[in-house]
Amino acid sequence: MLVLKGVAASPGVAIGPAVLLPGESFAVTRQYIEPGEVKAELQKIRAAMQKTLGELDACEQKVLSTLGTEYANLMSTHKLILQDPSLKDSVSKKIRTEHLSAQAAIFVTLQELAASFDKIEDPFFKERRNDIFDVGKRLVNNLDGDKREFLASITKPSLLVAHNLYPSDTINLQENQVIGFCTDVGGKTSHTALLAQSLNIPAVVGLSTASKDVQSGDTLIIDGENGLLVINPDKYTLANYRKIQREIKKTEALLKTINHLPVITEDGHAVKLFVNYDPRTDTKENKRLITDGLGLLRTEFLYMNTPHPPTEDEQYQVYLAVAKRFDMRPVTIRLADLGADKLPDFPLDEFDQDENPFMGCRGIRLFLKNPDLMFTQLRAIIRMACEVPAQVKIMIPMVSSVEEVRHVRNAFDQVLKEFELQGKKPVNRVGLGAMIEVPAAAIALDGMIHLLDFLSIGTNDLIQYLVAVDRVNQEVAHMYDPCHPAVGRTINQIIQTAHKRGKKVSICGEIASDVKLLPLLLGLDIDALSVTPRMYLRVKNHIRSVNYENCSDLAQAALLMGSSEEIRNLIEQNDKNEDS
Amino acid sequence: MIQQDIKIINRLGLHARPAAMIAQTAAQFSCDIQLSKDQVQVNAKSIMGVMMLAAEFGSSLRLTADGSDEKEAAAAIQKLFEDKFNEEF
Repeated sequence: MLVLKGVAASPGVAIGPAVLLPGESFAVTRQYIEPGEVKAELQKIRAAMQKTLGELDACEQKVLSTLGTEYANLMSTHKLILQDPSLKDSVSKKIRTEHLSAQAAIFVTLQELAASFDKIEDPFFKERRNDIFDVGKRLVNNLDGDKREFLASITKPSLLVAHNLYPSDTINLQENQVIGFCTDVGGKTSHTALLAQSLNIPAVVGLSTASKDVQSGDTLIIDGENGLLVINPDKYTLANYRKIQREIKKTEALLKTINHLPVITEDGHAVKLFVNYDPRTDTKENKRLITDGLGLLRTEFLYMNTPHPPTEDEQYQVYLAVAKRFDMRPVTIRLADLGADKLPDFPLDEFDQDENPFMGCRGIRLFLKNPDLMFTQLRAIIRMACEVPAQVKIMIPMVSSVEEVRHVRNAFDQVLKEFELQGKKPVNRVGLGAMIEVPAAAIALDGMIHLLDFLSIGTNDLIQYLVAVDRVNQEVAHMYDPCHPAVGRTINQIIQTAHKRGKKVSICGEIASDVKLLPLLLGLDIDALSVTPRMYLRVKNHIRSVNYENCSDLAQAALLMGSSEEIRNLIEQNDKNEDS
Repeated sequence: MIQQDIKIINRLGLHARPAAMIAQTAAQFSCDIQLSKDQVQVNAKSIMGVMMLAAEFGSSLRLTADGSDEKEAAAAIQKLFEDKFNEEF
């Protein structure tokens, strides 16, 4: 038995026989042709190009419907590469003048192109070499009528081991018999990993030597939960993983059955469960989720890659489409949190690159210095609320003082009045709330709560500011700790202050999807959670399995504890008790 | 023949999508269109060529168009850069 440690790219456990994917070297069956065969060889290339184009078209459509526009764009880039005149010219020239076979001509051309890309130092541009090889491989596969695509030749459920897997290979995995895969290279955010996640195939990447250590036919376990590859496991390990696999399958089957069920704890305590939404990566599967509504629409993307700020009309169209997408269920739109790591391309007044951007001019601070941006966004959102019966909520990011809230409230009232003068009124009252992520706002919340209709706790930044830890700095990243006593106590204080005034509180940071922390958040009496679509049913299932009374006891005990370790132990213990 | 210098002002530089837009736009014109950067010259109608320039934010390119519709072609490509390859969402 050999265990390799890599990067967990897509969750789940797969067990089965190994199939090794042949490497980047194309099997060139025939190197040269006779001069009389040139015409036929050129004809072969044209036919293969036509066929490949058809495949890419189909692939683009499939990706568009399952994975959203971001990945579909990748496929249209592949189409352009295929039709690139320099590819065509080079290949036909090699056939005509050097009398290379079609396969060899493509192979040599690709190698020449790859060599040029290898010279590039910027890793971002260097990566594109993969896209070119991907297209080239498809082309070669379509050249030879006899040579069936390798993946299609796998006849029984197998685990694919490859040095590197191209996005187009990955897209076709599901239709073939591949039930899991692992690669030597790649990271968690590589295209291949992201595609694996959306296809629900367990995957481990970055294993360095997997393709050398594995022989075709070896029994493998791909542990996509922990990023492990087990080669030829012993009896005990195999039995253990089969048990884990059964449990995961049970949970997955269960998840599908709870879509239409209410979000309540085992003892009937109800919370709202919203979904964070990004229109750029929406999928069919996401659309099937029955949710309480949209809990967080980040709007920064509207301001990126554009030479001018988005106009009221442009924004209105987007918000209208979002409200329709959510079938008029509640939608919460956050005013653009520009600044920090999200800088627009157009110039802004009084804006210089900050030394310390996360504590600099971002969120509402930036909007108050550029009131035109704020008014335009408020108008666009309220205009949408005048048109459709969705319950619309507007969230202010990076609030630290009551003065900021008052400024936005005044602007908000002014915009409402403008619409009133035109004889327009929101169908449902529009709520104005704040994202609580600055500790000062949490501590002095009682001074501003009367101006707010709701609160949302942005735990990612709140924790970062509370413990003064930059998550990107590797020296201190481990100190970013959701179990720190200060985190639970601050969340508690926010919820208590809000509830005294009858206002609701939601959480929209990553900890909302952390099922281990869920009992603590429920016990602190959180009213709503907003999570990514991928985690939605998992979180819902967990809420439905816990006991609210127990959660309350757990939270009360945690609030009295003075160290992360105690709190973590308490949570772990509770988790185990529930499992048994 | 037209020659002009273009500065790259979109933050991500000439990554796949802008390269695709340049190649598609260039293909609409009959004139010969070349882009060059640091002694590397490529055909603007070739997406791979354009990507190969590895042109990042802040760098400068030279655009050369030669043919009957060179004026229109140069203007159309210049506009792509100016609009920062106005990406859809």
